[in-house]
Amino acid sequence: MDVDPCHYDLVGINENDIHNVVLSYLVHNCFNDTMESFIACTGMKQPDDHLEGMEKRKRIFNFALDGNALKAIELTNQLAHDLLEKNEELYFDLLSIHFGELVRSRKCSEALEFAQAKLAHFGKVPKYVERLEDFMALLAYEEPDKSPTFYLLGLEHRQKIAESLNRAILEHMNLPSYTAMERLIQQTTVVRQCLSQELGKDTHAPFSLEDFLKS
Amino acid sequence: MGGVEDEEPATKRVKLSTEELRGLSNGSSLIEPVSGSSSDLMARPLSSEGDEEVVGSKGVIKRVEFVRIIAKALYSLGYKKSGERLEEESGIPLHSSVVNLFMQQVLDGSWDESVATLKKIGLLDESIVKSASFLILEQKFLELLNAEKVMDALNTLRTEITPLCINVTRVRELSSRVVAPSQFVLVGSHSQDIVRAKSRSKLLEELQKLLPPTVMIPERRLEHLVEQALLLQRDACPFHNSLDKEMSLYTDHQCGRDQIPSQTLQILRDHSDEVWFLQFSHNGKYLASSSNDRSVIIWEVDVNRGVSLKHRLCGHQKSVCSVSWSPDCNELLTCGVEEAVRRWDVSSGECLHIYEKAGVGQVSCGWSPDGKWIFSGVNDKSICVWHLDGRELECWKGQKTLRISDLEITSDGKQIISMYKEDAILLLDREAKVERHIEEDQTITSFTLSRDNRFLLVSLLNQEIHLWNIEGDPKLVAKYIGHKRARFVIRSCFGGLAQAFIASGSEDSQVYIWHRGSGELIETLPGHSGAVNCVSWNPVNPHMLASASDDRTIRIWGLNELNMKRKDAHSNGIHYCNGRT
Repeated sequence: MDVDPCHYDLVGINENDIHNVVLSYLVHNCFNDTMESFIACTGMKQPDDHLEGMEKRKRIFNFALDGNALKAIELTNQLAHDLLEKNEELYFDLLSIHFGELVRSRKCSEALEFAQAKLAHFGKVPKYVERLEDFMALLAYEEPDKSPTFYLLGLEHRQKIAESLNRAILEHMNLPSYTAMERLIQQTTVVRQCLSQELGKDTHAPFSLEDFLKS
Repeated sequence: MGGVEDEEPATKRVKLSTEELRGLSNGSSLIEPVSGSSSDLMARPLSSEGDEEVVGSKGVIKRVEFVRIIAKALYSLGYKKSGERLEEESGIPLHSSVVNLFMQQVLDGSWDESVATLKKIGLLDESIVKSASFLILEQKFLELLNAEKVMDALNTLRTEITPLCINVTRVRELSSRVVAPSQFVLVGSHSQDIVRAKSRSKLLEELQKLLPPTVMIPERRLEHLVEQALLLQRDACPFHNSLDKEMSLYTDHQCGRDQIPSQTLQILRDHSDEVWFLQFSHNGKYLASSSNDRSVIIWEVDVNRGVSLKHRLCGHQKSVCSVSWSPDCNELLTCGVEEAVRRWDVSSGECLHIYEKAGVGQVSCGWSPDGKWIFSGVNDKSICVWHLDGRELECWKGQKTLRISDLEITSDGKQIISMYKEDAILLLDREAKVERHIEEDQTITSFTLSRDNRFLLVSLLNQEIHLWNIEGDPKLVAKYIGHKRARFVIRSCFGGLAQAFIASGSEDSQVYIWHRGSGELIETLPGHSGAVNCVSWNPVNPHMLASASDDRTIRIWGLNELNMKRKDAHSNGIHYCNGRT
């Protein structure tokens, strides 16, 4: 059930706007090759020195995603040297990924030493205590997957952290940390939902992007 | 002499027990089973002829249990040899040898062995075995941590504790302990209460609570049973008016009547007319009496010298019908009949303030519980609230007041209790503005509030005193009768230890005392030669009572010394001091 086209058909769209939306998406997610082809095809101006930054960000993101948090940290420090100092929570999350990897590879004593050396002092700050306990609970189980906090070892968790790191770096470089595409979709969803409420049609299901794209 | 079979029952008994013990240490089935239900103890009687299975005249005490808790008591008192001798002589071991081994292993810290022994005890409930193992292994873990053997501790956690699959939250807490060595505990986490491993004997106590009592006798079981008996005796004691430390194990506790004040110790003759009202201060150090002779006397109560006159307060132009002590006992309010209320300083005897209202007279007075304001009943059917400095704060109209009207405030300042009709009392919650009523079918002459604010004692025209529970909806809980009242206002009061007694004056010149709980009339005390108008029981000294009479005297009542002396000779153990030599 779509909104009547007559409401929006007359709104004009600028080609450049669309290109920018796509471009920002590509830059954010470090799709350098795609970005280069896209620029070539559309004849857009190449954004200055985004390329190098993108390359670096891509590597950092991938290291974090794979669980090689130490390498990610190293490169981040090279790229944006005081970023992790200012983002303590992010730093903690990255360190705990490394911890998680050690536990996953059953390197118990290494994991313990690492935790004692790097993570323990976070325990003095109340807001990290529960998360720290979540991680430490992994050590209690010979099969970490059996622990109640096994999700900390999963890809989904690492993805979340990697994305946070990406956003933090972009922000540090004075670039937008959210893509225009994301923002647009989020705003559209809200607006559509408001509209259906306002028009009083409770029979409408909440706006579903998936359905919209298929229609 | 003959062989084994010729031996007498006594030795045979001893032999039985040796076999028994051997049987126990083999881990084979026990004559005295430890697997949980006490009915098993009766399965195979321990003894040959002569030994009864039960002791005591009522047949409810099982010999085996009795001996075991005595043995346990001997051990905890430190009489190890006696304990051992008892076990030997009775043939009843305190604990089976498996359990003894288990306990020793726990105290020695042989954790793995103790867990193994635990399984041999033969407990039927698997979850108890698991919980007990958890406790033991947790101790092992914490002791390893304290010894800084972190990896060993971690291994214990991973391979022994976690696989028990119980107490997941605790496992989580323990694992976070691994990373935080004793010098810095995780802030705000639960780890703060498991910083140190507890002592091993504490662990044993906790294990004993977990295991069925037949396996390990609970600590201090005998002491607990004896205390229970003593407390039951105390609660059943109808005249209980003495302190707990006088209870003895040698005889059943029963306070005799001699704990109730029944003898005139002093007669105070300083008033020159009928004495209408008297009241002890809250700290029991003073007594104030008011009289038809228009004066009020403040008496000092001294433990050694008795009651003596401190100040005579003159100033009222009319007879003084009531007094009220300030919460800190430093000031006194007095009220002249349909006249003014005066506030006096107790130590100097000086009149600090006079509260009066033009055209009307006051009939009662009282203090607010915080001592910051006072209230008075006025004969125009209103109640006035005054600031100490004399400013009128409020005036509640519409309550009907009798000529002598009582007014009480609960000690939290929330409820005002006053007369509302001739036969009804109003309980007003000042904050919630909720009214409750006590309806009687007779005219009410006076009332008084208990110290805990939960009960109201109401005196009626028809010579009955009613006790009302005023928590929630007022309920009548007791009636006290026997005293005489025909023409005058006769007042009653709560008194004695925990306010367990009711005392009242009477027109037949006697003081009446009832047991509050049972309603039984305990004492009638003659002595006065005129109607006894008011009685007051010293709130601090349960053995002192004061009565005010139309015969112009005040009598101070105390314990009957003669009876006391006789009792002492009995070596009954009752001895206390009430100050009188």
